[in-house]
Amino acid sequence: MSDAAPAEAVLRWCPAPAAQNGSLVAGKQTDALPDFAPSNPGPTAAPPPVQRIFIPLPHASRHRPRCPPPCPGGHGDSVRHAGGKIERERASPASEQRKTRKSPLGPFSSTLVFLSNDDDDDDDRIPFDFAHSHRNRTATATTVIMAITDGSKASRHRQQQHHHHSSQPSRDDEAFAKLLEPIYQGKKLSDPINTAKACADKWALLPAFLKVKGLVKQHIDSFNYFCDIDLKQIVKANEMVVSEVDPNFFLRYTDIRVGFPERQDSDSDAEITPNECRLRDMTYAAPVFVSIQYVRGKAVISRNSVCIGRLPIMLRSNKCVLTDKSDEDMALLKECPLDPGGYFIINGTEKVILVQEQLSKNRIIVEADTKKQIVQASVTSSTHERKSITYVLSKKGIIYLRHNSVSEDVPIVLVLKALGIQSDHEILLMVAGTDMVYQDTFSVNFEECSKLGVHTQQQALDYLGARVKTSRKILTTRKSYAHEALEALATIVLAHVPVKNLNFRPKAMYIALMTRRILMAMANPQLVDDRDYVGNKRLELAGQLLSLLFEDLFKRFNSDLKMNIDKILKKPNRTEEFDAFNIISGHGHTITTGMNRAISTGNWSLKRFKMERAGVTHVLSRLSYISALGMMTRISSQFEKTRKVSGPRALQPSQFGMLCPSDTPEGEACGLVKNLALMTHITTDDDEEHVKRLAVVLGAEDVLAVSGQELYAHGAYIIYINGTPFGITRYPARFLTKFRRMRRMGKLSEFVSIYINHHQNGVHIATDGGRICRPLIIVENKKSKVTARHIKSLKGGKLSFEDFLKRGLVEYVDVNEENDAHIAIYEHEVSASTTHLEIEPFTILGAVAGLIPFPHHNQSPRNTYQCAMGKQAIGAIAYNQFLRIDTLLYLMVYPQQPMVKTRTIELIRYDKLPAGQNAIVAVMSYSGYDIEDALVLNKASVDRGFGRCQVLRKYVTTLKKHPNQTMDRIGDRKSDEEGNLIKKHRIIESDGLAAVGERIEQGESYILKQVPMHTANNPAEGPQNRLGDYKDAAMSYKLADSAYIDKVMISCSESEQTLIKVLTRQTRRPELGDKFSSRHGQKGVCGIIAQQEDMPFNDLGICPDIIMNPHGFPSRMTVGKMIELLAGKAGVLNGNLQYGTAFGGSKVPDMAEILVSHGFNYSGKDFVTSGTLPRTQRNSDH
Amino acid sequence: MQREGYVPPTAGGVARPPVYGDTPRQTAMKYLCADCGKSVTLNKGDPIRCKECGFRILYKERTKRMVQFEAR
Repeated sequence: MSDAAPAEAVLRWCPAPAAQNGSLVAGKQTDALPDFAPSNPGPTAAPPPVQRIFIPLPHASRHRPRCPPPCPGGHGDSVRHAGGKIERERASPASEQRKTRKSPLGPFSSTLVFLSNDDDDDDDRIPFDFAHSHRNRTATATTVIMAITDGSKASRHRQQQHHHHSSQPSRDDEAFAKLLEPIYQGKKLSDPINTAKACADKWALLPAFLKVKGLVKQHIDSFNYFCDIDLKQIVKANEMVVSEVDPNFFLRYTDIRVGFPERQDSDSDAEITPNECRLRDMTYAAPVFVSIQYVRGKAVISRNSVCIGRLPIMLRSNKCVLTDKSDEDMALLKECPLDPGGYFIINGTEKVILVQEQLSKNRIIVEADTKKQIVQASVTSSTHERKSITYVLSKKGIIYLRHNSVSEDVPIVLVLKALGIQSDHEILLMVAGTDMVYQDTFSVNFEECSKLGVHTQQQALDYLGARVKTSRKILTTRKSYAHEALEALATIVLAHVPVKNLNFRPKAMYIALMTRRILMAMANPQLVDDRDYVGNKRLELAGQLLSLLFEDLFKRFNSDLKMNIDKILKKPNRTEEFDAFNIISGHGHTITTGMNRAISTGNWSLKRFKMERAGVTHVLSRLSYISALGMMTRISSQFEKTRKVSGPRALQPSQFGMLCPSDTPEGEACGLVKNLALMTHITTDDDEEHVKRLAVVLGAEDVLAVSGQELYAHGAYIIYINGTPFGITRYPARFLTKFRRMRRMGKLSEFVSIYINHHQNGVHIATDGGRICRPLIIVENKKSKVTARHIKSLKGGKLSFEDFLKRGLVEYVDVNEENDAHIAIYEHEVSASTTHLEIEPFTILGAVAGLIPFPHHNQSPRNTYQCAMGKQAIGAIAYNQFLRIDTLLYLMVYPQQPMVKTRTIELIRYDKLPAGQNAIVAVMSYSGYDIEDALVLNKASVDRGFGRCQVLRKYVTTLKKHPNQTMDRIGDRKSDEEGNLIKKHRIIESDGLAAVGERIEQGESYILKQVPMHTANNPAEGPQNRLGDYKDAAMSYKLADSAYIDKVMISCSESEQTLIKVLTRQTRRPELGDKFSSRHGQKGVCGIIAQQEDMPFNDLGICPDIIMNPHGFPSRMTVGKMIELLAGKAGVLNGNLQYGTAFGGSKVPDMAEILVSHGFNYSGKDFVTSGTLPRTQRNSDH
Repeated sequence: MQREGYVPPTAGGVARPPVYGDTPRQTAMKYLCADCGKSVTLNKGDPIRCKECGFRILYKERTKRMVQFEAR
């Protein structure tokens, strides 16, 4: 193990495995009555949910058995009886004291026999455990021992104890009498019974959502959008290839489509599987076909399905062979059904294109620099043709326009004049409206313009044209200044605002609006935008990045094509008729290699946009299932890591529900790398035209038809579509509600968002891609639109999440629209102003943070630490983990699903591919080998397989073909004089490869590769330089620890080179220095492996697997972990799994009830005997 | 066993490896097809391909020799 990083086995400090009876049903049970009957631990014991309302308090559950609930739930008599019995037995000795002394422990003090420890001098100690009361109490219970694997043993133990006490039937009457009182358990008889089960069960929407959207689906949706829509648009924009030589020639692309992944060596027609690509180091790619029309001779020829290259295919996208495959089919394809997909396979490695976060394009961002007294409004224009940034800024109270293509700042009035607004009065109204303050602030700018002697449009254009930077070739004829200025204003400045037929009014309006925003920010410094606000950000997904890349490559492909066509057409006499098809089919590698190279290196260098981005793609981390999943939800930010501004790193309130508040790395990327929350979706572009038409129908007036006076009149709101002013309305609220109603009716895409900004008097409609949004339940008239009936049909499979959207019960809300909403978290919080209801509060966390049980009880940095650590956990990676050959793979031999699970665990199916084991943890001091977070492991547990893991390593080689026609080869094994194999070749078989199953030691060879002595094309001639000479290049095992040969794979790569992969396997058991961790950011290394006989044990003989030092608790404040310990112990005693879902989960009082009913201390503490000292040890309390 | 100890660099550069001019012996080995599971017998230099299904990934068969494990 010396050569590798210490094995990081992560396991849970919580009880040992227990019966897993029906996880989902067991989950419901946790909300329900704590199950008192040891003989009845199964799901059947769960009472009907109606009863649940009576039992949130332990009091209630205690008394309920004796006073049947008002509903006819004739179930589990044994439950009631057993419960009652326990109560009677327990309470009897205490009844006296209960009246006289109130225990500080709330509900439990009455449940538990409060026997003050008369023989104990520590009277500040917690009341003594009833379960142990009959025993010799020389010590107080101090240690938390968490579990026993055999629940029946515990129950027997309990019953023995309880027979000491006699039952008191009188308490039944007493409890019955309580029923007759007007207030029962804080509820009046006339209090409404909560019948709307939607409230409790609305989480059922979440799995339905995850079926259609969420987590990895955004990558897949984005890729699908790219293949099906974006690709066609790119080709449409670049459809013509013409020749400069022959004016009659043209080639037009009429269509493009992406095929299905297929083999390049097409001698076999079987479909190619991702697993084969991984094993053979191939690229999982599909051909891209175009339909073309071109001139051949004098005829126009049409051809379909011309392949122009190969496009890497995202796994599980609609072009992937894995789509819509059943689990059985997936098994046949040797693929894991739980694998999320969303990545690419390039030359055998799995590559993820991370989500990129950036400032939204085509929106005005106003910022102020108070020191320099600069207020600036900037817009990053982004169209398919051009990307540019335009600034409007005020320096010393004077407003200028700044742009890269203009050599100096230009006064804004001059620009507006150049854009055809010649009247000063019109300019003033357009910018400042009738507001006196704004008019006064702006008026100096007129002076600035007239000082330059510019009064007309022509003068302005001449002035501007002289300052426009021209990058055009000198060949073209010099245009006049005015012409140049017009062209720059039309196409370069604010490129995203279209200028049609030289109508500059939209652009002038846009610049006027930017100027107005500056005036507003000058008058009121609070009216600036926040760059870090999530609503001002857009996420760029694989599809968008690929479309940028493809566009670049396609343009290059076309220019190459044009060059080649020109070259041939230039020749005066051609032997045969020119056919452009021959050229196009010979050019396939431009796109194929360009795509492959970009994805495999992660360097996105697009000359056209001067874009140079490195680190866009990453190798999918297969450390564990969670690390792979966590990678798919990761968002990387474009900000520099070195800049010392806290803004971009800080947790933004607008992240709520969209980005996980816990999951971010520590250190330099802290806060810059984020993760998506569980229930989010990232939009793709939607059609703008449709929205525009609807806006007109809903009463929007054309913004270009009104003067500035009307534009900024009191009560007039400008309607912006994707940041560009489109219309004006005087009834914004009505417009808003109508628009939303149309969306809820499904008349337009559910991802179109609309919100109102009262500061800017604007109604903003967004249809662009990259916005984060999440679904919420719609509330109307103080009622949730989703009712119990809907949830019932959802559970019955009659409704899907899509139906909920279509019926207007649920809608997607993006960050900006969230600002208009009043969202209730629980149904009882719904008030008159409530517009939405949260589906589940725990969805504010991401997939990785969702694994933490009771995270709402932890100090927040602990959850962040856990998010980083959970990804290192060793466990099962995928169902096909033994069919994969990865460079390095850590697997746990006996992984277990956690005893305390969360809803997220079930949703992401972590319980199917767990990482870690349940352990009996004693929190106590032991031996001094446990200081500074060190752990004591039980040797017997380790012997039985606790923490055992396997390390699989890949060794790979290819037999290359060299330029001088020589080839690498596999040599023969060598023998010594006696005919025995030499030691280095001990395990080599006659094919020169190691035998499968053999143990390999340091220095032994596993591939007897030989390479030619001369690989260059022209070797120096000489007697010792024969061409056929080879030298040894055998691969030998380098590590000090021996391994076993697990697999030897031989195959050939795409370039027909022999590929040999050898997989070695090591089995490791935990040793000193191995890192272990709980799920609460509590990590520690193994300090000593103690003999079991030296370990402490309790009266049942239970011995912990791990001893952890209690000093880990006070400063770290991981209360969630303590509750997990409690819930885990209760679950193991009960034989079910408990829930630790965030903002919910099993209740501590319920857990205490279970513990007590099994004869344990309510607090989870246990009484242990030292394994080393001759007597029962009195441990110090923590 | 030495674990990750310092290995002094061998003085005088690497010794010239022996040179082989002859081609390795032709021996047949059995492999298993990764797709159909059939046994495939291949000689050195044969194209790597299952003779039944044409699949191009083959695994070596497990050794017939006895392997002893230390069961800790």
